[in-house]
Amino acid sequence: MASATRPAAVRERVADADRSVGRLLLVAAGALFWGWLVVSWVNRWLGGVIVPVGQPLVPPGAVEATFGAIPGLAAYAADAAFVVELTPELSRGTWLTVVITAVSLFVGFLMAVPLAVSRVYGRFSAWISLGYTELLRGTPLLAQLFVLYYGLNLASYVPGAFSGVFARDVVWVAIVGFTLNGAAYQAEYIRGALESVEEGQITAGRAIGLSKLETIYYVVLPQGLRYAIPSWTNEFVYLIKYSSLAAFITVPELYYRADQIASETFRYTLIFVVTGVTYLALVLTASKLMEGVEDRVAIPGLGAEREE
Amino acid sequence: MSDDNDFLRVTDVSKWYGDEKVLEDVSFEMDRGDVTVLIGPSGSGKSTMLRCVNRLAEAQEGSILLDGEEVLSPDLDVDELRREVGMVFQGFNLFAHLTAVGNVALGPRRVLGLSETEARERAEAQLERVGLGEQFDSYPAELSGGQQQRVGIARALAMEPKLMLFDEPTSALDPELIGEVLEVMHGLVDEGMTMLVVTHEMSFAREVADEIVFLDDGRVVERGPPEQLFDRPEEERTGRFLERIASHD
Ligand SMILES: Nc1ncnc2c1ncn2[C@@H]1O[C@H](COP(=O)(O)OP(=O)(O)OP(=O)(O)O)[C@@H](O)[C@H]1O
Ligand SMILES: [Mg+2]
Repeated sequence: MASATRPAAVRERVADADRSVGRLLLVAAGALFWGWLVVSWVNRWLGGVIVPVGQPLVPPGAVEATFGAIPGLAAYAADAAFVVELTPELSRGTWLTVVITAVSLFVGFLMAVPLAVSRVYGRFSAWISLGYTELLRGTPLLAQLFVLYYGLNLASYVPGAFSGVFARDVVWVAIVGFTLNGAAYQAEYIRGALESVEEGQITAGRAIGLSKLETIYYVVLPQGLRYAIPSWTNEFVYLIKYSSLAAFITVPELYYRADQIASETFRYTLIFVVTGVTYLALVLTASKLMEGVEDRVAIPGLGAEREE
Repeated sequence: MSDDNDFLRVTDVSKWYGDEKVLEDVSFEMDRGDVTVLIGPSGSGKSTMLRCVNRLAEAQEGSILLDGEEVLSPDLDVDELRREVGMVFQGFNLFAHLTAVGNVALGPRRVLGLSETEARERAEAQLERVGLGEQFDSYPAELSGGQQQRVGIARALAMEPKLMLFDEPTSALDPELIGEVLEVMHGLVDEGMTMLVVTHEMSFAREVADEIVFLDDGRVVERGPPEQLFDRPEEERTGRFLERIASHD
């Protein structure tokens, strides 16, 4: 018995160690990534207190020298220096990508909850909600952005208070577009989750004298929104990536800037690999963040308990 | 049998689901402090009858007078009615995202408008009353079936109802957990609570019921005090049903 269990136990411990090394690396990479971003942004907002605005945080020359001194890495020294030179532009683009995603996701969520509730519990409003979600999910996102940008010329209607917040007012057009579109997808995920809340929960709410709306607010939503977290995280991740479509309406976010630099320098492969890694870092951050949220709000017996 | 002082008077209540008539001219009445037990085969309309009393289901015909007020009146404030009529479900239906205290406190807090502290205090008192002084902060999934049902009873009691409806409160429980729930219900009977109970627990019914109403196919086949209905049923159908129940035990 003991000899049979020991190898399994050892294997488990090794796997545990592997996992914790992996986690450590991930945390270190995340800290480096976000450290670089935040320091770059602060430097820019404060008018270049650390390095002059537009300059990389570390001098490309120094990076090239360091790489050159390490055997095996020497061949990549020039590429490394080139990537470092790109970092100020990339950090600026990433800022817009993060802001567009975060604002659109948040406002979209505020729209999605009533959309989903109407869809599940409404009568007339269910049809409006259905029409809205099917229209927005059934047409290409890029087409929606074009309608807002070219068709409605929305950029020229940005109200004074919002104008000038971003480098270009067209950023607002992108936010409006992603909000409207994301709300439809989020509503769909939340709808599915609300439908999985047991009927008896509503009966019990009504039986103690809560109104239908109160029952939805105090009983159905707290459960349904918890159920929705995993699929809702998908929408978060998609939005990070889809936000690159804003480049097509000239929003200078991450993809737009990468594309510009690439067409000026012709270093397509290198630039898009670096850009891809940046998106990947954002996506991993989002899913780790949502895992954390899910754990924090977890309630025994509610929804599928995730494997550690 | 009926007089003007009846606390609950159900008269000729009929209900259809689509074309299916599930209640047909059901009548019975209760005094304050009475315990009436509804029995009958599956699908006979027992749950539907209970749900008509707190308007979770809408009866299309007849009258239900509670404390002199017409429950079936279209002008009635349904939420007000439900504040005064507690309900306990076969499947417990505890709010899965709330602790025992949270379950019991929700009504007092959001329906009666008590403060957070008052609602919590009331919830704790009700949980003590059903013997769950140790389980205040447990979630439903962390409680046994018997404990969950006692939380369900406490949740209804916290609204200080004048009538309690029980829909097969012990049917979903393992046999060894039934006793603790019946004990709590016994306690309520002793305190003088007016209770309308659907149950297959015949010994409980015999002990506490003032009247047994036997429903079959949506109709009252027979009703009367337990001794009469159980020992000397007048209708053949009643006898057959009781035999079937007895052979299951
Ligand atoms: N929401 C509903 N929609 C349509 N028919 C229903 C609905 N609820 C109940 N019924 C039907 O009404 C009849 C009575 O059902 P009810 O649940 O009241 O019976 P019951 O006596 O409580 O049975 P059980 O002992 O199985 O709980 C059944 O034929 C049932 O199928
Ligand atoms: Mg029933």
